[in-house]
Amino acid sequence: MQNFKNKLYHYETPPPEDVWKHIAEELQHEKVINLYTRRKSKFLFYGATAAASVVIIFVGSLFFKKNKEPDTTANTETRQELLAQKIKDSINLNQKILESIIHNPREKKEIISKDLSKTKKYLTVANPEGQPVKISPKVATLIISADHEFPPKPVWNKKIDKWQKIMLASTISPTSISLIDLVQLAANSENIE
Amino acid sequence: MQRLLYQRFSAMMYTVCLRYSENAEDANDVLQEGFMKVYRSLSKFRGEGSFEGWVRRIFINTSIEHYRKKVKLYNVTEVQENTIEDDSLDALDSLATKDVLNIINELSPGYKQVFNMHVIEGYSHKEIAELLGITEGTSKSQLARAKSVLKKIIETRAQNSKRSR
Repeated sequence: MQNFKNKLYHYETPPPEDVWKHIAEELQHEKVINLYTRRKSKFLFYGATAAASVVIIFVGSLFFKKNKEPDTTANTETRQELLAQKIKDSINLNQKILESIIHNPREKKEIISKDLSKTKKYLTVANPEGQPVKISPKVATLIISADHEFPPKPVWNKKIDKWQKIMLASTISPTSISLIDLVQLAANSENIE
Repeated sequence: MQRLLYQRFSAMMYTVCLRYSENAEDANDVLQEGFMKVYRSLSKFRGEGSFEGWVRRIFINTSIEHYRKKVKLYNVTEVQENTIEDDSLDALDSLATKDVLNIINELSPGYKQVFNMHVIEGYSHKEIAELLGITEGTSKSQLARAKSVLKKIIETRAQNSKRSR
């Protein structure tokens, strides 16, 4: 029934040969038709967005600082120094923990307990970028129970698995196994206290 | 690249141009203009839907633009869409596609646009109204009249062939 629609839709009529000649001439006049305009514009769009975001964050942080606490340059420098020191301390501590795990398994508990008493029961480890990260011992329960099938925690298991992979791939951060050990110990020490 | 695209789609798109244009000369112009548009807009193709469909749409739009430059469409009194039954077009099935194309080309430009867009391409009356700058009612009435004219053309052809036998 009414097959003519389909037939006509797909029907082909060869065009006169000179049409392509005209098109080729027109193409020559236009030289090159850039097929990648969209990619460029997309790149420009993302670049502009990123630049705008950086400017907004920078201006925002300046405004925030000015309003909250009017700092002198000296104060800012001191704060930066303090922050740098904190990071350095944190990395050193992390290194110490790692060394203790490797060389003296007994010592690591002491270090962690000591660290916990100082830092209000938070454990400091290095993230894949080598920056210090504080982890609550409460997370330990979640990580430890990730391998158990019951109760099922598909979302958390997925997240922890992804995290472990990232940690394993990193050359700076401790291995996922040692990290889990650390967290487990932190949780235990919390129980002891 | 451009040559390949032309080789792949020119014959199919030329039929589209012939269906929408008043004569072969106009169809040639539309084909050339359409391909230039395709080349210029290639980077805009998002991969949503078929590439052939995207190319066809460009050619239909180019044909409409070309047609609108030449002819001013006027809104006419609305008539019911189904005044002429679709069965009247069943006779076209028995004809060769080239003859069907010739019969459609006998329609006046206004009827031809609406008939092609609605019956062959499957556009809704709302879409046709937007593209041609007319009301939905006008689109419906143009279609009904196109069908009526086509019916007459088919009947005349049938009578002529009987006589010649």
